[in-house]
Amino acid sequence: MTGISAIGPALGFWRNVRVRRFAIQTAFLGLVAAFGYYLFDQARDLELGFDFLDGRAGFDISHQFGTSYGPNDRRLDLYLAGIVNTIRLAGVGIILATLLGLVAGVARLSGNWLVSRLALVYVETVRNTPLLVQIIFWYIAVFLQLPRISDSINLPPDTISVLPFIEIPFISFDFAFLSVRGLALPWATTEDGFGLWLILLFIAAAAAVAVRFWRAQRQERTGQPSHPTWWLLGTFALIAFLGFAIAGFPLDLDRPEVGERSYDGGIRVTAEFAALLVALVTYTGAFIAEIVRGSLQAVPKGQTEASAAVGLNPFQRLSLVTLPQALRIMIPPITSQYLNLTKNSSLAVAIAFPELVGVSRTIINNTGQTIPMFLIVMATYLLMSLIISLVMNTIHSRFTLETR
Amino acid sequence: MDAMTAAKAPPAQFSIQARRWARDNLFGGIGNTLLTVVTSLFLAFAFYQILRFVFSSAQWDVIEANRRLLFIGRFPQGEEWRLWPTIFLVSALAGLTWGLWSKVGWLAAVLLALVLVPVFLFFAHGQVGMLTALAIALALMGYAVTQTGLVHERFQGPIRQLIVVGWVMAFPVTIFMLLAFGGVDPSLWGGFYLNILLAVVGIVASFPLGVLLALSRTSSYPAFRLVSTGYIELFRGVPLITILLMAWFVLPDFLPSWSVPVFAPAGLDRMELVYRVMVALTLFSAAYVAEIVRGGLLAVPKGQLEAAQALGLSTVRINALIVLPQALRAVLPALVGQFISLFKDTSLVSIVTLVELLRAGRAIAQGQIQFSGRDPEILLFVALLFWIVAFSMSRLSQRLEHSLGIGER
Repeated sequence: MTGISAIGPALGFWRNVRVRRFAIQTAFLGLVAAFGYYLFDQARDLELGFDFLDGRAGFDISHQFGTSYGPNDRRLDLYLAGIVNTIRLAGVGIILATLLGLVAGVARLSGNWLVSRLALVYVETVRNTPLLVQIIFWYIAVFLQLPRISDSINLPPDTISVLPFIEIPFISFDFAFLSVRGLALPWATTEDGFGLWLILLFIAAAAAVAVRFWRAQRQERTGQPSHPTWWLLGTFALIAFLGFAIAGFPLDLDRPEVGERSYDGGIRVTAEFAALLVALVTYTGAFIAEIVRGSLQAVPKGQTEASAAVGLNPFQRLSLVTLPQALRIMIPPITSQYLNLTKNSSLAVAIAFPELVGVSRTIINNTGQTIPMFLIVMATYLLMSLIISLVMNTIHSRFTLETR
Repeated sequence: MDAMTAAKAPPAQFSIQARRWARDNLFGGIGNTLLTVVTSLFLAFAFYQILRFVFSSAQWDVIEANRRLLFIGRFPQGEEWRLWPTIFLVSALAGLTWGLWSKVGWLAAVLLALVLVPVFLFFAHGQVGMLTALAIALALMGYAVTQTGLVHERFQGPIRQLIVVGWVMAFPVTIFMLLAFGGVDPSLWGGFYLNILLAVVGIVASFPLGVLLALSRTSSYPAFRLVSTGYIELFRGVPLITILLMAWFVLPDFLPSWSVPVFAPAGLDRMELVYRVMVALTLFSAAYVAEIVRGGLLAVPKGQLEAAQALGLSTVRINALIVLPQALRAVLPALVGQFISLFKDTSLVSIVTLVELLRAGRAIAQGQIQFSGRDPEILLFVALLFWIVAFSMSRLSQRLEHSLGIGER
């Protein structure tokens, strides 16, 4: 800032840019600090602490798969169970929403008029209605209207009626059951030799990667199509199946049966979880569909034309040329949809599904420790957001084009 | 294929064109035909189920009997005159906005009318019906006046400014009408009216706050950057429901007991829940607005800033006259998108016990024995009301994108 001092002492020191910057920022930080101290001071009167987390919970979580925490466990354990429920919801939701979004987004651009209109109607209906209304709709108006457990619906159904006068007979074997108590699905139970099979699976994966590398090399060298992906899948499936036999068939399919008041065997997805999952997936899927559509349209048209000119079929054009390029554009906005889905899973509190926020509310009601509990909840969400962002940024950087 | 040329063509040619269209769009190749058949079967199934529900199994009298509760909650009898002026103001503004900023939109308008007219004519009779019809007429007039070219080119600019001022004034006018001359207790505000009120408050209040946050996040002062980045990331990282719950449980503990006339006569720490929720929605939405505006600020070419500095403009003037107008113009559609999601998010205040549309609907099925089990009808109606508003806003944002030429070179 020599220029300013050269002008001379006629201008006061407060006209010096450095002084002004320092003064303004100090004053601003002082204000923020004063506000922070005020909040801290107010909170001090409330006698807060985190000891309540060690106390006896006094309630239990009725919606859990595998884990089991009861009223005699610590509050912290039940909170962790709540986090696990959130992660389950978000994890399954993210995978399904991505698939639905991809399909719907591609369908929006389909050359088939009916398909593209159908996708449009889906997107515009779901996107413009509040998620909370949809969650409650799926829960109250769909899942709670299902028959009682003794009249469970068999899945897949014996017959499908498209219209009142057309009934198509369908496969008849009881795979899963649907009732007001939720969805009962077959589940695998492990037996001796499972560990051995896991080791063999690792070997299968390594071998498959090696075979893929070999086929890809061959394709590069000879110019002959060598289908490296098919070889990868084939090798893996073959070794995995052989290993399954060698290990003595260590998995059993545990199929559910309709009991008096509950399902025996299998795994049960509660109506609350199912309603939340359907609502979150369809809602987020609609947003992802729009992102997919936008990104596909952003790929230069010459790319599609060139790939058609070299003789690729529409599916190859999409999967080999346009989609990989569109991925680069779509990952950042899709990341924010993943974050939204995770945060939106907190709406489960409206239908009493015990995830993070639901469990915290019960703890708050029991202890009155509102502020510490909210601090923990917010910290948990920030941590989850951070993890998702980190993972997606890593993926994104792998897809980013090196530019000069 | 242009629908207009198809309609004007002679019959024979029309059928050829129709056939060609069907071949190109529905039956080109085996895969495409198969897709069409499967989709048609699914559509037939879905249409049949929907029509059967809407016209046969659903009993819509539950909506008719509760339309007052759904639209204005537990607002006291005889005080409705406080609501109508703002409804008229907002519907006229909505019509004008639509007409002025959109170019075609006739098809969407017809579609909306097809949904709107039965909703209102079927459910509103007598005096309420008359006043509703007046509100719709005002909106249509506003649309028609600006759409049919009655307004001279020269007056379009001033009218736009007037509309913006009108939208900004809508909130104080509403609050004035609700609180003046005796007033209605804020805990009695409710129904769909409350959703719209909360959304308008959130939009009007979070916009300036968001712009300030965006400016300080892009500022050259590290202290400003630090604080606003912290604020934005904190509020964007947590779900809205936690912030609403904080406003419900925690906020009173941190507010001083100063008495504020009209809003909190008993002291800020005993502020009505509605106002606390408004604060929460504003703080939450501002973080998202800030990120959108920041995107716009980063898109303004640096030369603009340097040119303004070379002219010797002050920082305030550079931002207000040069940078912000360009930045906001670029992100206007995204901002409308954020406001749509804010509007949808107003349904979340039902979780903190405010009787907005969704909670009013839930209260019917839970509290009125003769209507127990009518949840599907009620929830569909609730969803439809939200959809009408959100869909028209999203159409407006698409038109804005067109008429402002954003994304085009």
